[in-house]
Amino acid sequence: MKRWRQPSVLPGFGLTFGFTTLFLSGIVLLPLAALVLETASMSWREFLHVITDPRAIGSYRLSFGASLLAASINAVFGFIIAWTLVRYEFPGRKMIDALIDMPFALPTAVSGIALTSVFASNGWIGRYLEPLGIKVAYTWIGVTVALTLIGMPFVVRSVQPALQEVQRDLEDAAETLGAGRFYIFRRIILPTVLPALLTGFTLAFARAVGEYGSVIFISGNLPMRTEITPLLIVIRLEEFDYRGAAALGFVMLVISFVMLLTINLLQAWGRRRYIAAGH
Amino acid sequence: MSITLDQVTKRYQGVPVVNDVSIDIGDGEFFVLLGPSGSGKSTLLRAVAGLTGVDHGRISLHGRDVTHVPAQKRDVGLVFQNYALFRHMTIADNIEFALRVRRMRAHARRERRRELLRLVALEGMDERLPAQLSGGQQQRVAVARALAHKPEVLLLDEPFGALDAKIREELRRTIRQVQRELGITTVLVTHDQEEAFALADRIGVMNFGRLLEVGRPDELYTRPATRFVATFLGAANLLLGHQTKIGVRFGTAEADGAGADAQAHREHEVVAVIRPEEIELAPEKRALACNYLAAGTVEEVAFTGALERLRIRLADGVSDAQLSRGPNGDGDARLEVTRTQHEQRAFGVTPGQAVAIGVRRIHVLPTPLSSFTAYAANAAQATYLSQQPLLVRLAARMHTRVSVRVTDENATVTGAAVVAAAPDSGERIEWLMKKGAEEVLVLPHDADNPQRVLIHWADEAARAATLAVAASLLRHVAAEGVYVGILPTSTPDGQRPHSMRALLDARSEAQAVHGLEMRTELHFGNLIESLAGRLAEMPDQILILGVSQISGLAARFEALLRAQARAPLLFVYGSRDPRA
Repeated sequence: MKRWRQPSVLPGFGLTFGFTTLFLSGIVLLPLAALVLETASMSWREFLHVITDPRAIGSYRLSFGASLLAASINAVFGFIIAWTLVRYEFPGRKMIDALIDMPFALPTAVSGIALTSVFASNGWIGRYLEPLGIKVAYTWIGVTVALTLIGMPFVVRSVQPALQEVQRDLEDAAETLGAGRFYIFRRIILPTVLPALLTGFTLAFARAVGEYGSVIFISGNLPMRTEITPLLIVIRLEEFDYRGAAALGFVMLVISFVMLLTINLLQAWGRRRYIAAGH
Repeated sequence: MSITLDQVTKRYQGVPVVNDVSIDIGDGEFFVLLGPSGSGKSTLLRAVAGLTGVDHGRISLHGRDVTHVPAQKRDVGLVFQNYALFRHMTIADNIEFALRVRRMRAHARRERRRELLRLVALEGMDERLPAQLSGGQQQRVAVARALAHKPEVLLLDEPFGALDAKIREELRRTIRQVQRELGITTVLVTHDQEEAFALADRIGVMNFGRLLEVGRPDELYTRPATRFVATFLGAANLLLGHQTKIGVRFGTAEADGAGADAQAHREHEVVAVIRPEEIELAPEKRALACNYLAAGTVEEVAFTGALERLRIRLADGVSDAQLSRGPNGDGDARLEVTRTQHEQRAFGVTPGQAVAIGVRRIHVLPTPLSSFTAYAANAAQATYLSQQPLLVRLAARMHTRVSVRVTDENATVTGAAVVAAAPDSGERIEWLMKKGAEEVLVLPHDADNPQRVLIHWADEAARAATLAVAASLLRHVAAEGVYVGILPTSTPDGQRPHSMRALLDARSEAQAVHGLEMRTELHFGNLIESLAGRLAEMPDQILILGVSQISGLAARFEALLRAQARAPLLFVYGSRDPRA
């Protein structure tokens, strides 16, 4: 214990560390352990059969594919929103700033129903997309739209403080040294904000993978086509197939963990590289 | 000329932060822009760099008009107070930034980087990150980075602000050395006069967005033209005195040889600057080696190493003369004195001791509006007038005071007189001017800080005096000056070119004699109507009106005084021939 202890303004290392351990164990690790235990009661063949079921494979593809796509869309447009909010003064800025958090506060089912009514073939937007041959509701596009909505605040809120820290002087300096806008963005602003942007991307992705409420309304839940893994798990539960549900949950857990770990490692490696090479 | 600014003006929300600034900076010159924070000096520097646009005026670099050229293409190097180094890049990459932008080849970049690092004495630091260097080293890197692309001019915005005293001095020397070695035209912005003295070939002092004075450091220190420069560059005691043929008289003290002006046509009030080191102390008047000023009492003695700082209370009678008072303007006046070790050994003093005060050198400021005196029919009204917020603010900024006097037949008038705006102000102005007032300010009780100062002289003979007063006033308010030329509609066509020339002459005279930049406009029509019309355009203006005929003044301007009651009017008397 002595070795870990760092001097800190906050007293009570023992107490806080104890609480951290208890909290993580009770709320996070214990349920996960139960999940693994439940899965472990299956035989290998049984397990493989459940998780390689074509319907399950289809759901992984949709869940992780749509989540990655949604997080990427958010990374781009969330950055632009954060930029607008930080850099420009305009009437209603505070209002828009507050609206960003709405997807956090809204019950996800409400978002799902709202999106469905807008994008359905007779909805406000859907009716104009339909003639163009674009179907949003009840397709993978709808799923992506729902996941984008859910993940947006994560990117905006991660990037905002980082952007605020980019000193105006740095841009001014680069400008007097002859750099154009795009060059300044690529060489000065982006490197400074990238860690925060990656964090936002990770959070948005993680949230999208676990999303359930908003998606089930807009996806239409066609097996193999628009069925996400969390929904498949619920279906298994409703069939009282607890072990099947646990197996699918276990797969989600492993894939999510691997992807998040990869992003984190990438980020750490990137940070080191930036510092070492200076680019 | 390397850098030429011509009537550059920048406004924020209507308020000019850089106000009609014109400067010519020569090739290889080290020019320092000095001023308190908020004086517009940094904005001006950013305008030269192209980071801030200007609302009016022109900027040229080496004869090329760059007013509308973006910063990327101006070819300047800019150094910031907080270094502004790119923290995610190595020193090498920071310095090579401008070269990379210009797609210079790698080996040529490396070559140039080596050269620059040697110049700022940071060889071998190439692969470090900015965070691994000390503040002074980081600023050296910033200087090297700003010089990499061989800019035409180097701009430094308070480059030593974030450094401690020792490093500051060292870096100052480096920058001076680099500047000499490269012969690059340099503009440095600072609020530190010591820094300005140490570095500058020439200093330009700014306040309220205006460039007040430009000159060599020693010139500005020994012969400032304005109260602001006198007090901002080093410590100064400001005293109100009376200029006579044989010298300057303070209070009831006898006039003495110091500051004699044989040209003084008659006794008039002036502002005198006495530097603390120009004051001599002695046990009694006869022991002084220089001109006697007054008797006084030592109040405070502070030892500060090489110099001793004293505060001395002047004896009654002379203490009235003193202007540099406490922050509220009403604190007890003290004379500041500094003495060398040598002087201390010759005559040591302790608090409470009575001394004779002598002055080695007095500098008389060539500025009008030496002090204000509020005139009214009774003491209460005069006191009320003297507390008018605009008047109080003006007096504080001018380091001068507002006296109160009841109008009575025997009064002699000195300095600028102030009267309340009233239907009969015309007669009052006439009366005060006959009594000897050179300037009379007619002040409405709700007048506020002016945003525009209109300048006009009704009689050609008053031109010089009006310009001098306008220059003095404009140095103390953040307003733009506009000379209003008025041509009667009946002017024959043949006369018009002549009038245009007179207008242009007025502008160049203002610039040449008073360093005053102003706009000029020409109106056709009746004098009173034109002026009243201009004043009605917007609130918060002042009209400075020069006259040389006192008799009949009330009748002549009655219509103007009646037409508007909002703007202060400053009547200035001036004539070519000295008034007897």
